[in-house]
Amino acid sequence: MVERNIKKYVGRTAIFLLGCFFLLLGYIIYLQTYMAPSLAANPLNQRSAVAEADILRGTILDAQGRKLAVSAQKGERSYPFGASMAPVTGYIGEKIGNAGIEGYANRDLMGMAEDVSRLGPVAQLFVSDRGNDVKLTVDADVQQAAYEALGNRKGAVVVLDAQTGAVLAMVSRPSFDPANIEGQWESLRQQSDGPLLNRASQGLYPPGSTLKVMMADAALKEKATDLQEVFNCTGHMDLGGGYVMQESHGAVHGKVNLEQAVTESCNITFGTLAMRMGASKLDAAFDRFGFRKTFDNEIVESASHLPDFSKLGKGDTAQVGIGQSSLLVTPLRMAMLAAAFANGGVMMRPYLIDEVISPGGVIIKKGSAAKWLEATSAERAALIDSFMENVVQKGTGTAARVNGIRVTGKTGTAENAAGADHAWFIGSAALRHRKIAFAIIVENSGGGGTEAAPIARKIIMSLLDK
Amino acid sequence: MRNKSWLLLLPSLGILLAGIGVLLLKTYPKADYAFAPWLGAVMAAAVVIQVLLQRSRPMVDPWLFPMVLFFSSIGIIMVARLKPVLFIPQLRWLLIGMLVFLLMIRLSNRILSFVEYPYLVGICCLIVLCTPLFLGTEIGGSRNWLVFGPFQVQPSEFGKILIVMFLSAYLADHKNVLMLPSRRFLFLHLPPLRFIAPLLCIWGIAVLMFVIQKDLGSALLFFGIAILMTYMATGNKSYVFLALSFFALSAVASYMMFGHVRVRFNIWLHPWADPNGQAYQVVQSLFAFGSGGVWGTGFAHGHPGLIPEVHTDFIFSAIAEELGLLGAAMVVLAYLLFFYRSIRIAMQCRQDVRILLAAGFAVVFLLQAFIILAGVTKFLPLTGITLPFISYGGSSMVSGFIMLGMLTALSKRENGNG
Repeated sequence: MVERNIKKYVGRTAIFLLGCFFLLLGYIIYLQTYMAPSLAANPLNQRSAVAEADILRGTILDAQGRKLAVSAQKGERSYPFGASMAPVTGYIGEKIGNAGIEGYANRDLMGMAEDVSRLGPVAQLFVSDRGNDVKLTVDADVQQAAYEALGNRKGAVVVLDAQTGAVLAMVSRPSFDPANIEGQWESLRQQSDGPLLNRASQGLYPPGSTLKVMMADAALKEKATDLQEVFNCTGHMDLGGGYVMQESHGAVHGKVNLEQAVTESCNITFGTLAMRMGASKLDAAFDRFGFRKTFDNEIVESASHLPDFSKLGKGDTAQVGIGQSSLLVTPLRMAMLAAAFANGGVMMRPYLIDEVISPGGVIIKKGSAAKWLEATSAERAALIDSFMENVVQKGTGTAARVNGIRVTGKTGTAENAAGADHAWFIGSAALRHRKIAFAIIVENSGGGGTEAAPIARKIIMSLLDK
Repeated sequence: MRNKSWLLLLPSLGILLAGIGVLLLKTYPKADYAFAPWLGAVMAAAVVIQVLLQRSRPMVDPWLFPMVLFFSSIGIIMVARLKPVLFIPQLRWLLIGMLVFLLMIRLSNRILSFVEYPYLVGICCLIVLCTPLFLGTEIGGSRNWLVFGPFQVQPSEFGKILIVMFLSAYLADHKNVLMLPSRRFLFLHLPPLRFIAPLLCIWGIAVLMFVIQKDLGSALLFFGIAILMTYMATGNKSYVFLALSFFALSAVASYMMFGHVRVRFNIWLHPWADPNGQAYQVVQSLFAFGSGGVWGTGFAHGHPGLIPEVHTDFIFSAIAEELGLLGAAMVVLAYLLFFYRSIRIAMQCRQDVRILLAAGFAVVFLLQAFIILAGVTKFLPLTGITLPFISYGGSSMVSGFIMLGMLTALSKRENGNG
């Protein structure tokens, strides 16, 4: 009788303890399912850092297979091309995070494929102690040539394959040596000329006269003018309100048609055309050339700054026609604009990563040419392209001429708030095996025809035998 | 059924072989095979013991031992993975544990007859528990170790066996007195003070362990055993109430008086206030649970080494990280199954004292597992104690097998029938 009582109490105690244990089990389930992602991603959780230290980071290669960033042993990283390639490779640091391809392709370089992390232990099958190599579209020769051509001046160069969108060079000066970045981080950050800024895709500049090729295309499309109309350039134009638009260096172009206006970079003509088109048609032109559209890939870019055209006065609208007003764009976007005219009006999506190659030599991912948008018709593209050829043959961009190669271009001399004018040159060149497009900006250096166009020539020369 | 019970050994042996195989492949070709004879001995001993259990007359429960071997094999491979130098010692302790287990079954009649002398057991218990108060050495922040030359013994691991024996004997003897409420105090029904004096004594020891040895885990365990066993023997909730109020009072008092208690409690309430300082261990343990997720990182592919003392108190966090929720839940469920089986043994006993002994040991295992699992998951404040049969530790392993031996012996059919 008594014994039965004890068993009753033992039973109750057992049920109580079982209840406690099931509560605990429920809590463990909560911890390992609902809470797991945030705990795993907590910045204080060193597990991913420790895992990375176990892996030999993959190599970043250029288009010819030359090493741009390489780890001879775990935890160490060297950059054979140093500062000239820094805007492309970016950097990696324990405390400062990472940037560029080192940042974007981090998981590939660490040998971690994104989709297998949820497979648990099975994911270990796909993990090796060596990361994947990332082969880029960049050509170190072109990059070096552009970097050296810029000299000690601030500026940026972007070179694209006009037909594929592959980035052949992306140069920014001043630059930094990614190998020692962690030690110099604070001083680099505080330096007033911003060496950490990748000017090629993140620097924002007024496009100046280089934008006139797009304006010419827009004016023809919107029938604001035709090829026959003759503009009378007297060197200045009264826009009312005491505002007078002037030609640079006091030039007077006299009677010019559209073709001559592009070749001579006539401000009066394009100021007039911008005012004729007005806000909605200007808007449409910037939309057609993708200035409001983003592409989400390995190239980190700054969004263009476009004013609200409908709120601009007459003078500012005329300024938009010559790439001034409050317009700000990146050199990358201007290279893409040049590429559109060289490629029959089709703009390709720019890309940097050509291949991701496993340690065993298998190509895991392949970058490919992709049409991004149709900016203009093939006929108009060919026409503007021929105008741009004139610029190099007999206009403001003769410094970019290369014997035996068809080079097109458009110079720009952009006024800006920071000081002396920025020198611009955008254009394209038909090489033996491919068509390249480029944009060059040299900050605060003066005229595009004299400062930027010679750099284009050096870039083309570096590619001549390829 | 029972003739097939050896089949239950297969998962454990599989875990051992697969786990050690993985570790060997990771170190190949520099692998060190010094463990092989020990591993062979452990596996052979396991099979022999299981066959003996199966054939034993009178019949004993053949299911508890394979479950314990399941815990031990997980413990062995985790220790081998986390602290390779302790791999062979842990195998050795397991082997010693199994021999002690055999010995316990063989001598069960004599040992179980000790319960006829409750006060003798009680005094032994007092001596064992109090020695570290005077002679103890502080290891890992707790002064609950005795050092004999190369050996370090944790007396509290053995004290808990004695306390269960003492309580069973005492409670079974005095049950009637304890159940007769002769005094009413408010709404409490309590017997004369002299009958509950031994209980108060145990609570007092628990508090002393708490305060002097800083062994919060054992203190909590002893306290829990005392309360639950008293309840199981008497069914008198007044004791439970009294004990809980006593516990609450001493908890509040020690929170006010002792820094280490306050620290533990604050870590539990605000682990993210000082994640790299005092709460480091618990926070790292939580990261292990999070990084493991449902499937785990895979054995030997996680980073549980980031948790200090991961091979003893925090071994469950390593299991959760590398074997995931699946592995962790399996271990938890195996403890529940083990508990269920132990309670069944208690329910099949015929004498009060044997019921209480079996149920007491069952409660010790489960409560101890609960205390440490709740601690490493931050379910409750962390109080360090080993995870039975899984954590590294000789005292813990041997005392576990002693209790397992007693449980198995208690499962013998009394008087040869029933």
